[in-house]
Amino acid sequence: MPDIKVTPLGAGQDVGRSCILVSIGGKNIMLDCGMHMGYNDDRRFPDFSYVTQNGRLTEFLDCVIISHFHLDHCGALPYMSEMVGYDGPIYMTHPTKAICPILLEDFRKITVDKKGETNFFTSQMIKDCMKKVVPLNLHQTVQVDEELEIKAYYAGHVLGAAMFQIKVGSESVVYTGDYNMTPDRHLGAAWIDKCRPDILISESTYATTIRDSKRCRERDFLKKVHETVERGGKVLIPVFALGRAQELCILLETFWERMNLKAPIYFSTGLTEKANHYYKLFITWTNQKIRKTFVQRNMFEFKHIKAFDRSYADNPGPMVVFATPGMLHAGQSLQIFKKWAGNEKNMLIMPGYCVQGTVGHKILNGQKKLEMEGRATLDVKLQVEYMSFSAHADAKGIMQLIRMAEPRNMLLVHGEAKKMEFLKDKIEQEFSISCYMPANGETTTVVTNPSVPVDISLNLLKREMALGGPLPDAKRPRTMHGTLIMKDNSLRLVSPEQALKELGLSEHQLRFTCRVQLHDPHSDTDTLGRIYTHLKSVLKSYSIQHVPDGTVIVESIVIKVTSSAEEPNLKVILLSWSYQVNKHVMN
Amino acid sequence: MDISSDESDDWFIESLNTYKDLHVFQLEHPTKVIEWTGDKNICVAGYTGSRSEILELLLPLKLYAGENQGLCAERDFKVQHGGFSEEPIESLIHISGTRCVVTSGSSSSTLQIWDIGGDDSDVIKRTGVINLKSTSVKGCKIAPGLTDEPAVLHGSCISEVQLTEIATGRVLYTVAKESSDSVSGLQFVNACVFLICASDGTLFMGDTRDPSTCHYPLEDSKSGLHWAFGLRSDSSQSEPSGCTVARLSSSGHMLLSDLRNLQSPFCQTQLNVQHDASKNDFLNVSWAPVLDRCLSVSGKKCSSPQPVFSHRGHEMSDEAKYSGSPPVVTTHSWHQSRPKTILSVATDGSLHVWDWVDKITDR
Repeated sequence: MPDIKVTPLGAGQDVGRSCILVSIGGKNIMLDCGMHMGYNDDRRFPDFSYVTQNGRLTEFLDCVIISHFHLDHCGALPYMSEMVGYDGPIYMTHPTKAICPILLEDFRKITVDKKGETNFFTSQMIKDCMKKVVPLNLHQTVQVDEELEIKAYYAGHVLGAAMFQIKVGSESVVYTGDYNMTPDRHLGAAWIDKCRPDILISESTYATTIRDSKRCRERDFLKKVHETVERGGKVLIPVFALGRAQELCILLETFWERMNLKAPIYFSTGLTEKANHYYKLFITWTNQKIRKTFVQRNMFEFKHIKAFDRSYADNPGPMVVFATPGMLHAGQSLQIFKKWAGNEKNMLIMPGYCVQGTVGHKILNGQKKLEMEGRATLDVKLQVEYMSFSAHADAKGIMQLIRMAEPRNMLLVHGEAKKMEFLKDKIEQEFSISCYMPANGETTTVVTNPSVPVDISLNLLKREMALGGPLPDAKRPRTMHGTLIMKDNSLRLVSPEQALKELGLSEHQLRFTCRVQLHDPHSDTDTLGRIYTHLKSVLKSYSIQHVPDGTVIVESIVIKVTSSAEEPNLKVILLSWSYQVNKHVMN
Repeated sequence: MDISSDESDDWFIESLNTYKDLHVFQLEHPTKVIEWTGDKNICVAGYTGSRSEILELLLPLKLYAGENQGLCAERDFKVQHGGFSEEPIESLIHISGTRCVVTSGSSSSTLQIWDIGGDDSDVIKRTGVINLKSTSVKGCKIAPGLTDEPAVLHGSCISEVQLTEIATGRVLYTVAKESSDSVSGLQFVNACVFLICASDGTLFMGDTRDPSTCHYPLEDSKSGLHWAFGLRSDSSQSEPSGCTVARLSSSGHMLLSDLRNLQSPFCQTQLNVQHDASKNDFLNVSWAPVLDRCLSVSGKKCSSPQPVFSHRGHEMSDEAKYSGSPPVVTTHSWHQSRPKTILSVATDGSLHVWDWVDKITDR
C-alpha cells in the first residue's frame, strides 16, 4: 500500500527543537534542523544516526527545508551540513537566508568564544553551509527533481517564516513550522489554500495553549517603559540587529507622539544600517495591506528616535535605548547595562530568548550578582522584565488551519500521546480525519490513497457513453473496460482494438465449448433442424441462422449436432461461444 | 502602522493607567460558566453548539509569580483537560476536595457528573447522571453540597429543589414547598443551611435537618422582573450571621440582606441600567472574596451610580469591532486570592483577566 512515513528526530520528550524526516513517494526530506537550546553537549543536536547508520545523509536526503530563522529550527544546520556531511540543496525563503547566517554566527560566538566549547561549527562552516541554500519565493512551485516539488506559504510568526507543501505525484504533506493565525500590526496571519494534503504536520504545544493577545503584550511593554521614564529611570532594550527591534520602535514612536512624551529614545548606530536592509527585505515579503502602511513612512525617519552615541549613556534623566547584541553577551548593550544596573529606578526589558552562558540568561534566571571581567562583581538592582512577543498559533488557530487546508490526516509532533487524547478526539470528531502523535524517534506510517490521473481516448469515452447507464460523476465511480498503456511518463486508457493496433498485435479470440447430450431418434440434421425451430420460437429478438454446412448460429454461439455410429440416438450437441456474450441468450 | 485614533486603541492606551494587569484571550467557543477547580485552575464549557466542550484551564503563571512577575513571560492559558458534552451547558459546579464537576444543560432532563481527570490523562469523562423530574430550557440550577459526602442541590422550580448524593443518586432532602416559581439561584451557606432565590426575588431559606423551609417574599414585588443573587459568607463558613445576600433585579434594584433578618433588607439602592426584558440571561452579581464590602455586577450596562470600576474591555475587542452588536458579558468570577483580579467572559468567546487600579489606594 502506498504510504508516507514521518519521524521526528530527537529523543524522549524533549520539545526544544524541530527536525523531522518525511519519506514520501520514494523521496526523503528533512524538515528543519534545530538546535536544542537547553543542552550543552551533543544532545543539543538532532540524532542523525537514525539515517547515518545506513549510509550518508547526502545519498539519503533529497532536500532539506528550513521554515524560519529561529535557532530551534535552524541552529544545527551548519553542524549537519559540514560536520555530519550533507551536500544536497537546502531550501528556505529569501529573508530566512539573509537572517540565518547572522543569528548562527552570533550563536557560534557565544558558544565558542564565551563558553570555550570545541565541538561546534566554525564561521567558515556557516558560510559553506549557506552556499548550499536555494532561496524561494512564496507560492512558487519549485521542482527539486523530476518528481519532487515544494511550495512555500506565508506563515506569519517572524519575517520570512513559511509553511511548506511537499508533493510527489498526487501525494503531499504540509509542514507548518511555527505560524500564527491572528494578524498583528506587522505580520499578517498564515494562509494556505485548500490543498488537501495527505498529512498536515504541526506542533502539539499550540493546541493546548490559549494565547494572550498581542495587544496586551504590547500594552505591558508600553506600561513598563512609561512607568520607568515617569520616575526618571532609564530603559535598556537589548535587541538583535534584525527582528523585534523595528516593531518595538514603531510602537514607541507612535505612543510617544500620542502621549506627547519628551524623554529621548535612542537606537544604536550598529542597528541603523542593518535596519534599512531589514526594511527592504520586509517590504518585499509582507502582504499588500501591511506594505501599504509601511510605504507611508520611511522606517527610520522617526521624530522621536535618534541615533545613539555612547556618551549619552552617562546623561542624567530618563531615556530609552535599543542596543545590540540581544542577549547582553558583549558589545554596546553590555556596556550600557554595566552602567545602569546599579540603579533601581532603571529597567531592563528582554524581548527574546537568551542562550545559556550569556549575561541575559543569568539575569532572567534571577541572578542579582554577576561576575564581570577582572573579578569585579556587578549588583543587579534595576528592574528586569522578560517579555515574549512571538506570534504563535493556539488551540483555536490550529482548528482554523485544518479548516483551511483540509488535510486527510493530522500529525502533531512534540506531545505526549497519553496527554493529548482530548485533542486527538476533538480533531477526529470535528473533521473525521485521523490524528497521529508520534513520540520523538518513532516513525508514523500513514497509508495514503493516491488517485492516479490517466488520459482517456475519445473513442473509448464515446463507446462507454453509448452503453448507457449513469453519467460519469466524481462522487460515483463507474467501472469500465479499456486497456491501460504506460509509456514514458504518460498513462492512457484506450479501447482494446486501439491498443492492439498501437502494439502491432492481432487479436486472439477465445471460444468456449461445451457438450450437451440428449436422446433423439431423428437424424443429426433433423435434430439440428428441430433445435433451430425451437430456438427461433423462444429467442424472437435474436438473430438465428441455420447455415447449410450444418450449424446453427445464434449471435456468436455456434451449435453443431453429432452422434457416434455405435449409438445413433445419443446426440451430442456441441455449443461454442466467444468470451463476450449476452447472458440472456445463454439462459 | 500608527495606532489610529480609533476608540478601541484609545481604550488600550487609557488602560495603561486604569489597569495593573490586563490579559485578553479568545476561546474557540463562548462560555456561560467559570468555575474554580483549584487555586490556579478554572473550568469553562460551551453553550452554543449541540455538542459542547468542557475545558479545564490553567491560569497564566505570570499571575502567580509574585515578586518575580517581571521574570515570568508566561501569559497564556494552558488547556489541561477536555471533554465533550452532548448538550449546551448552562451551569457547571465543582465539588470541593474532589476532581468531580456536575453540569446541567438546556436540552436534557439529567444532570451530568464528570471526572475532570488527573495527571495521566487529559480527558474529562462522564461518570454518571442524576435524573431530573423535568427538562428546563434555562437548565436546572445547581450548587455543591458542603458536606464531606459529595452532593448537589438542584432544581429549576422551587417545588423540585432537592439535595442528591452524587455517588448513589439517593435523595437526601427535598424542599416541601408547593411553588412553581422558577429558581434563579441557590447556594449552601454551610453544611446544612441553604438559600434559594426565585426569579421573582423571593428568598427561601432551608436547613437539611429541618423539613420546613422559610420564605421571604419581596415587600414590593413588581412583575416581569428577573432577580439574580449573590451570597457572601465570611471565611469560617459556619455562622449564618456572617452572611450577606445581595439581590439584583433586571431593572437595577439592588437589595442587601443579612441572613439573620431576610425579611427586611438593610440596604437598598437603584442602579441605572438598560432595562431590556429579553436580555436577563446573563445578569450576575457577586461579592469580592477578599475586598471588603465590594460587589460586582455583569450582564447589564449600568450608568449610575458611579462604580468603583467599569471594565469595558469586551466591547473594545477587535472581534467586537467587526460584529453587528457588542458582546454581552455572560459571567464573571473573582480570583480567589488576588484581591482585585477578575475573570470575565462574553458572548463572543472572549475571556479577560484583569486587575484594576484603584486611584485612591494604589498611588
